[in-house]
Amino acid sequence: MTLASRGRAVTAVALLLLVGVYVRALAFTPLERFQGAAQKIFYLHVPAAWSAMLAMGMVGLASVLYLLLKDQRFDRFAAASAEVGTAFCVVMLTTGPLWARPVWGTWWAWDARLTLTLFLFFLYIGYLLLRQAVGDPPGARARYSAVLGICGTVLLPFIHLSVYLFRTLHPQPIVLKPSAPSLPGVMLVTLLYSFGVFTLLYIGFVMQRYAVGEESAHA
Amino acid sequence: MSDLLRHAWVIARKDLVIELRSRTAFVSTLVFTVLVLIVFNFGRDPTATAVLDLAPGILCVTYTFAAMLALNRAFQLELENQALEGLLLTPISRRSIYIGKLIANLAFVGLVEAVGLPLFVVFFNVPVGHVLPALAGLIALSTVGFVAVGTLFSAMVIRTRFAELMLPVLQLPFSIPPLVLAVLATAKLFTGRPLEESLGYLKLLAAYDIVFIGLSTLLFPATVDE
Amino acid sequence: MPENIPQNAGYMVAAYIVTAIIVLAYAASLYRRTRGR
Repeated sequence: MTLASRGRAVTAVALLLLVGVYVRALAFTPLERFQGAAQKIFYLHVPAAWSAMLAMGMVGLASVLYLLLKDQRFDRFAAASAEVGTAFCVVMLTTGPLWARPVWGTWWAWDARLTLTLFLFFLYIGYLLLRQAVGDPPGARARYSAVLGICGTVLLPFIHLSVYLFRTLHPQPIVLKPSAPSLPGVMLVTLLYSFGVFTLLYIGFVMQRYAVGEESAHA
Repeated sequence: MSDLLRHAWVIARKDLVIELRSRTAFVSTLVFTVLVLIVFNFGRDPTATAVLDLAPGILCVTYTFAAMLALNRAFQLELENQALEGLLLTPISRRSIYIGKLIANLAFVGLVEAVGLPLFVVFFNVPVGHVLPALAGLIALSTVGFVAVGTLFSAMVIRTRFAELMLPVLQLPFSIPPLVLAVLATAKLFTGRPLEESLGYLKLLAAYDIVFIGLSTLLFPATVDE
Repeated sequence: MPENIPQNAGYMVAAYIVTAIIVLAYAASLYRRTRGR
């Protein structure tokens, strides 16, 4: 089996499991008392955010490895992860305001976390634009992308820190508390299941996108 | 180490001498800065908000735009007559080239900012005399980090299509931490808060500068090597 | 259930639909691009 067909298989499985997430979240997970039904957006928004962050982290890592080892495959992987990450970022940026509006009363807020997600999006866009805009010499595209990927990944904590100095509206982390998660068991399971599915989706997408990159390299 | 700095200074001096001979770039950037300040004045309702509330933002955003413009020309000089290739053939290390470019850019932007500040004071009637040293230090800190990243990126974008558009698109996200921190600290300075209250912002600015100057110096060779 | 649970299921439906559209559209795009391999 080629990488592309294996990627398609993984994606297909992930999509089926995503249906499972939908069913479980919508029908078999209780309503949250204070936020109502809109709280269930959480089961899609947070895993999407995780995938988007994971993808950017992978872009940064692959960029460093490319500059150190000069292996074209790292560049191909970075390009794949960037495009996939952008897709998850769009999910995150659309579900975020849809969750914020009913729960906070506002579509958008310039708090630390939301602003960070917006910047993550613009980093992705900048990365993709740069790859498109670089023509010759060959190899320049990989090097420039790697430079941008590394700088961008280093930038993100600074964005978070500096924007944090403004008041933050974002809900405090309730899952990863050191003592015990304050999320009731049923909801936690749904969330973790969704995390798994979104991670699998990331893997399937990247495999396929990597295969696309291989195709254009050997064309 | 001294070789690094000596060579860097040679590069910087070359750029600055060229700038001095025809002052077009400097004058244009200065005029742009003044025009942005004027635009900001007409962009606000004077009866609605006190100047002091907007002043930090106006100053820092104007400086950000001016620096962006200045960075566009950073590698333009080398683009003409393929001077960059010539520069790369010299025994001067890549790092020296980067630091030299950085110094030249900082001098250029610094001069624009220095001339722009009195105009800002005049246009918006904001007293800065009593906090001038702190303000100058703060502006310097926030400019350095931003220009460090910009110098790196401008080396990359000159070989891309639509270079003038690419540079701001890539660069502006990196301008946010220095901008945010500068605005926060400037607001404290303008309203007469003691310097201690801005110390956290200044430390973070310094950290940003150190990280990105270091990173840019490390990564610069990747932008010019084949 | 207590009466004061907010009635905002519309947003939930919208978000779940939008997510499905984005994920499926991207999956379809990748499927088309890797067809034949």
